[in-house]
Amino acid sequence: MSHMKPELDQAAMAKAFFGSQHPLFNAFGIDVVAVVDARAEMTMPFSETLADGHRALHRGTLVTLLDTTCGLAIFSALRSLRPIATIDLRVDYLRAIPAGSGLRAVVECIGWTDSVAFVSGRGYAVGDKMPLATVTGSFAIDTLGPAFDTTDRSAA
Amino acid sequence: MTGLVRPIPDCTEAAMVLVPAVPFHRFLGMREEVVEGETRYLMDFCENHVGNPLIRTFHGGVLASFGEVVAATHLARSLARVELPACSTLTFDYLRPAFAGTICAVPHIGRAGRRITTVSVQLRVENKLVCIGRFLFPVGRGSLGGSACPAVGT
Repeated sequence: MSHMKPELDQAAMAKAFFGSQHPLFNAFGIDVVAVVDARAEMTMPFSETLADGHRALHRGTLVTLLDTTCGLAIFSALRSLRPIATIDLRVDYLRAIPAGSGLRAVVECIGWTDSVAFVSGRGYAVGDKMPLATVTGSFAIDTLGPAFDTTDRSAA
Repeated sequence: MTGLVRPIPDCTEAAMVLVPAVPFHRFLGMREEVVEGETRYLMDFCENHVGNPLIRTFHGGVLASFGEVVAATHLARSLARVELPACSTLTFDYLRPAFAGTICAVPHIGRAGRRITTVSVQLRVENKLVCIGRFLFPVGRGSLGGSACPAVGT
């Protein structure tokens, strides 16, 4: 496989968008673990404020982490931060999220055309190999708005 | 129209009508109103909901989560259950950008089967359809039901 850009660039690219000023990612404590070769891995810690009432993270946080990781996998595949938007998302819940556990999502961008990218991935409890959920989805490429690495954020 | 509508200053201080014991519902900032006998579920944008900060749209995961909680709440009420059922599969179509504003969710039970119940939810912004969600709930024996959340407040 050929890599037009070294892995480091992709990690830096990811941090530029996912690690800085994003209010939701900050609220969730979402962290980029790895991003390379159309694959992305992200984690989030357990948080009482995002729990489900049973002292486990709410399933909505898992969907949100999976959706976010899908985006990062696509950025890696496209090697750019062109604007993308979810077209459709399917999540199958295989089992309940364990109490007190953080979450990990691993997603691969399987393929893409000029206008649509296709992803597939899994969600896990941190430190556990049994998947909690699977995700598949498709995303539109070059949607509304500037690229995410654009310097002029005042456009928002 | 009955008087369940309350203004919400922001997500964290949301005056919750629904399941105040569930922290994530407070994060979403859900509220509800009854219009001509039909319950509508509402979610007001706050900064923590943002997906694309450059054009200020809701995050896709927040929209899907909201849809799922609405579907579960609607189903629990229709079954007169006190616990929110857990869906096994969600499928979510994003039809338009959901710009910062108030999202209105209208749930509909497609079919209440012996094993599986399908609930669809339409999400609208200013009466424009922005998302359609479909949620499958195992309701028979041995289902995941009841594990999602505790008591539904009414």
